[in-house]
Amino acid sequence: MVQVHSGGCQCGAVRFRVEGPLGEASICHCRMCQKAFGGLYAPLVSVPDAAKLAWTRGRLKHFQSSNHAARGFCADCGTPLTYEAPDGIALAIGAFDDPAAAPPVIQFGVEAKLPFTDRMAEIPERVTEDDMEAAPFLATLVSFQHPDHDTDTWPPVEPRANDI
Amino acid sequence: MREAGKPLTGGCQCGAVRYRMRGEAMYPHLCHCRMCQKASGNFFLPLIGASKEKFEWTRGEPSWFHSSEPVRRGFCSQCGTPLAFDTVGSSHISITHGSLDDVAAVTPVEQSGVEGRVPFYAELFALSETGSNRDDLPGGIEDVSSTNRQHPDHDTDRWPASDR
Repeated sequence: MVQVHSGGCQCGAVRFRVEGPLGEASICHCRMCQKAFGGLYAPLVSVPDAAKLAWTRGRLKHFQSSNHAARGFCADCGTPLTYEAPDGIALAIGAFDDPAAAPPVIQFGVEAKLPFTDRMAEIPERVTEDDMEAAPFLATLVSFQHPDHDTDTWPPVEPRANDI
Repeated sequence: MREAGKPLTGGCQCGAVRYRMRGEAMYPHLCHCRMCQKASGNFFLPLIGASKEKFEWTRGEPSWFHSSEPVRRGFCSQCGTPLAFDTVGSSHISITHGSLDDVAAVTPVEQSGVEGRVPFYAELFALSETGSNRDDLPGGIEDVSSTNRQHPDHDTDRWPASDR
C-alpha cells in the first residue's frame, strides 16, 4: 500500500499531499532556518523523486531567501511550509496533519545551534489545562484552525455544533 | 547574556517587519500545543512575553490570522515568518523567540501545551550533528552566504540595501 501523508497551513488555505515514502527528516539550526520559522530550528522532511507531492488546495507564496533557496508559506496565515533548493523540496514537518510521522534522524546547521537548545527537554512542563486559571478563555475556546485531515470544503459551510 | 536595560530587537526573515521591546522578557517558554505547531510548521513555538506599553513595531506591521476568537497570530506577509501571538485585549504580547536578532539573549524556562508534544521530542537533541554544508552547489556554502537575502540580525536604517 502506498504511504499517503497530508498537511497544510494553520488556516487551511494551502493543503498538500505526499504519496509515497518520505525522505530524510531533519532539524536545521542554521540562522536562516531559525529566522524563517521564528523558532529554535526548522524541522524539514525531503520529498524524494519516488514520491509524488501535490498541492491539493491553494498556492504557496515564496520568499527567495538566497539566490539558490526559496521558502514557501501561506500568504493568509503565514505558516512556513517549504524549503526549496536546487536539490529538491522539503516540507515543514509541523505542518503535517500527523507530525509524528516524520521523526528526524539528523541535525544540520549546528554551528548556529543555540546554547540552550540541548537542554530544552529538561525544563519544566505543563499541559494546556494547567493554564485555565490564568487564561479562562481557554475553557470556551473555538479553534479556527483547519482540522488535521483533508476537508471537502473549507471554511465549513455551516457552523458545527460539535466544535463548541 | 543581555545587558540590563538594553532593548531586544528582531523581525522577520526578509526585514519588512521589525520590532523592539524594552523591559523584561517575560515567561520565555516553548508551546507544544497543536495550534502553535501548525501555525509555525514546527514541533513547538518558542514565545517571549512583552508588555504592550514597552513594545513597538519599528518597521512595517505584521498581518494577522485569528486562529480563534480571542487569539490572533502575526506574521510577515512578504516572507511568512511567524512573529507574534496576541490575546486580544491583553496588556501583553508574545513574540516568537527565533525572530529575535539575538536569540541566545533569552533562555526558555518552561514547556507548555505538552499534550501536543511530538513523541520523539526528547530524542531530537541526541541526533548526529553536522554544520551547514552546501557542497551540492557549484560554489558551496559561499553561494548562499554571498547572496543571502535575509535581513541582518540588527536594525537597519534602510532595507533592502541600496546595492540590490
